Amino acid sequence: MVRASNVFVGDRGRRTRRLLIALTIFGFLSLTCAVIIAAWAIGRTRDYTYWVNHTYQVEQAIADFRVAAERAETARRGYIINAQPQFRANYEQAAASLAPALDRLAALISDNRSEVARVATLRNDLAGLQQQRAQTLALVDANRMSDAIRAFREDGSRVLMARMRAIAQDMALAERTLLAQRDADQQSIFLTFETVLGIAAAALLLVIVLTAMTMLRYIRDLNAASGRLTELNESLEEVVAERTSDLTRANEEIQRFAYIVSHDLRAPLVNVMGFTAELDAATHNVRELIDRAEQAAPDIVTEEARLAAREDLPEAIGFIRTSTQKMDALINAILKLSREGRRVLTPERLDMDALVGQIGDTLQHRLDERGAELVIERPLPEIVSDRLAIDQILSNLIENAVKYLQPGRPGRIVVRGRIDGIRAIFEVEDNGRGIDPKDHARVFDLFRRSGAQDQPGEGIGLAHVRALVYRLGGIIDVASELGNGAMFRISLPQTLMTAQDDRK
Amino acid sequence: MNDHRSVSIVMIEDDEGHARLIEKNIRRAGILNDIRHFTDGHSALDFLYNSPQGPALNGPALVLLDLNLPDMSGTDILARIKDESSPLKRTPVVVLTTTDDKVEIQRCYDLGCNVYITKPVNYENFAQAIRQLGLFLSVIQVPEVDG
Repeated sequence: MVRASNVFVGDRGRRTRRLLIALTIFGFLSLTCAVIIAAWAIGRTRDYTYWVNHTYQVEQAIADFRVAAERAETARRGYIINAQPQFRANYEQAAASLAPALDRLAALISDNRSEVARVATLRNDLAGLQQQRAQTLALVDANRMSDAIRAFREDGSRVLMARMRAIAQDMALAERTLLAQRDADQQSIFLTFETVLGIAAAALLLVIVLTAMTMLRYIRDLNAASGRLTELNESLEEVVAERTSDLTRANEEIQRFAYIVSHDLRAPLVNVMGFTAELDAATHNVRELIDRAEQAAPDIVTEEARLAAREDLPEAIGFIRTSTQKMDALINAILKLSREGRRVLTPERLDMDALVGQIGDTLQHRLDERGAELVIERPLPEIVSDRLAIDQILSNLIENAVKYLQPGRPGRIVVRGRIDGIRAIFEVEDNGRGIDPKDHARVFDLFRRSGAQDQPGEGIGLAHVRALVYRLGGIIDVASELGNGAMFRISLPQTLMTAQDDRK
Repeated sequence: MNDHRSVSIVMIEDDEGHARLIEKNIRRAGILNDIRHFTDGHSALDFLYNSPQGPALNGPALVLLDLNLPDMSGTDILARIKDESSPLKRTPVVVLTTTDDKVEIQRCYDLGCNVYITKPVNYENFAQAIRQLGLFLSVIQVPEVDG
């Protein structure tokens, strides 16, 4: 159930994360769109403003041209009627400004083909007009006033003038139409811009709302999950305490069981041994009787009786004795193990260099005897643990190494140690005969041994070592190949916590 | 002084075989005192305290005590005998049991046990121990029954 809810939270979390990322991307896209549209709209507005200005300039230029043309006409007429030099000067001034005004207009509308054509017509008409005007004025200058008036009436200057007016008006109108169209364009741009902005704003709002909702839900989930976690944590401690007390109880039960069993097994053994001795004593008497009977009356001693007294009985008693002794040794081993389990551990700071050194001194005689050397890779890490237990563990391992050397190879036993986190690792490595990998688990079992049974022992040492290591909160394993030595590795807590400490 | 009264031996041992072996070896050691054998704690206590022939009412005794009894712990019997208010507190008690557990041995001595003998499986040692017990029996001072 715990796992399922975890999976659920994880799945939910992943989905939420994905949704948030998608929303963020969507929000960014909306914003980008709005910005692009805004930039585009601003550009278009600038263009529009330019063209509106342009229109006004064109209109202004057309108006300027028309005003100049009308003024020149007015001045000419005045001069024809009343040949005052003032009119003549006015005409010259106006006529002179005509060409530049037309040029300016031409420059302004150079991008519009139909307008360019109109300006060209205007230019032509203007040239014709100027010429006719010049003739009329020349007649006035020569005081031929009647000729001048006639020429004024006859020449086509009035027609030209009317046409020019019409053209100018058309141009102004065309410009107005253009402006109106540009206005409409601008309106549509604004509309588009506003629409896009509206959509983007709506999208952003949606993103914000969705994000907020998702976040809220996620936070609610997180809170719920953390609540569940706290609950689990609390119950976990209870569970651990419960299991620990279960284990302790089970362990105590086993210890008691082993103790009682070994105890109760010993009692009948005392009888077996005791009465075997009685039998033995009785057999002696019977044998003496047979001996005497053989001498005194050989005919009453049957072959069976002789064999029974001299061979069968001593043999049977011998077997009973060895078996009983062996059984006693085994029971003692169980007793020792169960007692070791009940011993109160007293953690103290251990100088491992000195401790292993002492073990080496104790075993020096056996090392010399077997031609082996013990190498201690100093410094070994200091630990806080039970001195007796550590001493027994390492003594047993080193003793085993001395015991099971490879014949024909000088023994070399290395003890080394290191700190690994909060644990201390100790290794006892030898170059002895090694242990078959299939026996690695077996060698730690009680009464089990591996390889050639050429050394005395009951198969207790490693079982004892493992029981001790477990009691110290450690683990032990072995790495070995047949014929290539063995390495026993013990991992122990650097500081031993006893059950009493835990309860405090 | 009641010199004419010999010390009787009260053996509390649930294992018949052990009892027989102990008795045989005691006899072999040349001790001929009367031996009363009980296989459970209750009847033994009843004899010790209430029987007209028991040590509480009738003369000195020596108790051979096994710690593993079917109905009660040998240490409880030891505690009863050696209790301050007990009329038998000066009666010598020899604990004869299979345990050689240091804690248990200490506990017995603390309770006032006079001798503690481990029943060894090795028969020679066992016989030896019983013979020593015989020696012990021959030298103990039987306390005067002052009432």
